[in-house]
Amino acid sequence: MIQFNNLSFGYSRKKLLYKNLSLSIESGSIYGLLGKNGAGKSTLLKNMVGTLFPVEGNVMINGMNPQSRKPSFLQTIYYIAEDVYVPSLTIKQYKNLFSPFYPQFNEENFYKYLQELEVSVDGKLNKLSFGQQKKFVIAFALACNTKVLLMDEPTNGLDIPSKAQFRKLIASVMNDDRIIFISTHQIRDLENMIDKVLIVDNGNLLLHSSITDIAERLCFKTVSEIPAGVKVLYSEKMLRGISVIIENLNGEDSALNLEHLFNGVTENPAMAKQLFSSN
Amino acid sequence: MNDTFNLSRFGFLLKKSILERPIQIIGLTFLILGFTFFTYSVFLYFGGWGPAQNLSFIWGYIGGGIFLSSAVFGYFNTNASGSAYLTLPASALEKWLCGTLITGVFFCLLFFGFYRLIDTAFVTAYHNGLDRNSPLYQKMYNAVHIFAFEGNIVRQSTIMFVNFTGIMLVGSLYFNRVAVVKAAIVACVLMGVIYLLNLTVANILFTNVDVAFPFHNILIKMGKEAGSIELTPIASTFVDICFQYILPCILWVTAYIRLREKEI
Repeated sequence: MIQFNNLSFGYSRKKLLYKNLSLSIESGSIYGLLGKNGAGKSTLLKNMVGTLFPVEGNVMINGMNPQSRKPSFLQTIYYIAEDVYVPSLTIKQYKNLFSPFYPQFNEENFYKYLQELEVSVDGKLNKLSFGQQKKFVIAFALACNTKVLLMDEPTNGLDIPSKAQFRKLIASVMNDDRIIFISTHQIRDLENMIDKVLIVDNGNLLLHSSITDIAERLCFKTVSEIPAGVKVLYSEKMLRGISVIIENLNGEDSALNLEHLFNGVTENPAMAKQLFSSN
Repeated sequence: MNDTFNLSRFGFLLKKSILERPIQIIGLTFLILGFTFFTYSVFLYFGGWGPAQNLSFIWGYIGGGIFLSSAVFGYFNTNASGSAYLTLPASALEKWLCGTLITGVFFCLLFFGFYRLIDTAFVTAYHNGLDRNSPLYQKMYNAVHIFAFEGNIVRQSTIMFVNFTGIMLVGSLYFNRVAVVKAAIVACVLMGVIYLLNLTVANILFTNVDVAFPFHNILIKMGKEAGSIELTPIASTFVDICFQYILPCILWVTAYIRLREKEI
């Protein structure tokens, strides 16, 4: 479980990015952290892994404070930064040097993930393409079997088949004790994969909800005219009509459109708050 | 689980620290040793035994130490490598110990061993090349000795080594990019400011000041006459202790504190 207790963070004390953020994240879920460029997604992840420290308040991950960066804590969390780092080593050398630090590391799974992601196992890692390096780091991170996995823009640099393979892999490694946190601005990459959504903008948490809850509260559909008498969170003219997100008054089932949801919540945060605060 | 120090984890970390970046650590060390050999040979050819032994030792030991110490914590050039280093499951003490062991122990042992080896080879070759029947044989033989590690040059070099490497260790943890250049600039500016400040104070108190070296002496010149004002023995001992022990300890411990508090 991840608990943010009145967390305030800013790159300068005078200008805080997050102010008194309180948030609880349960195990057994894949979280999608959505936000525009510069919205504070990476900052939030870095506070969770302990490479940035809050100005006030704290983050507690499974009862441990990331700021102290104790080995017992770091063994339980893996952070994949947006721009990956791989040294000038072969895959085997990398595994031999880095895996001893992760007691739950599974070598068999590691090679299985590499195969599934179609990572070339020959040659030095730093000679691979960016996408291959990224897939290698993802495979290693998954094989470490940490309780918390934080990924910053993991699908950047991946080709279309790799993105699909990535989604399959993430779904296959998920269990009730794990928290997977994926930060991205490429919203479509997360569709059908995440079960909880967090939307941040300018350091504000605009939405924290499960996919089920969103489907219960909102209806995503294409209409010829914007319906009257209902709250409209978002509308966009399309070729076949107007795509809208409206209040789900009749309990209709509809397919979630994360991109539209994101636009609706960031453009109309007050209404989003209203829609999600009512029971 | 011991979160401060674990021997097997430390072993893995030390192995990882050396083998992960072979060019930066192993390659640089061999480059320093090669440079020392080259300097020794060049100065021996152009300047004789004194400059060859002294300058190659000073440049290799201090210069090499400066570059190596700036490389051991050189993970912060990119966000990804910095994050990977900070989030690696090992304690700050273990990470710091790795850096200090590589710079302060392994490098020194390797450098001193290598230096003794090349120095012995050069000196032996010189001694063997002398004509034993020459009347000057004994004089020429005695003119060249193996460089003594107990001498003042080694002592002064070691004081400079521990201080400069300490500055570089701290600098590489304060600056993320081109830390060696930035730390060197800061150190030079700081030394320049201290020198000028000392010279200004000396000029206020005395006239005809020629040189006022901080924490050492003031040289006064009047025409052809020159005299110096030395520190009192107690003050001189205190300054020596400061530069030999206190300042290096502060710098090396600061590197540990900085590593614990490093954010990226």
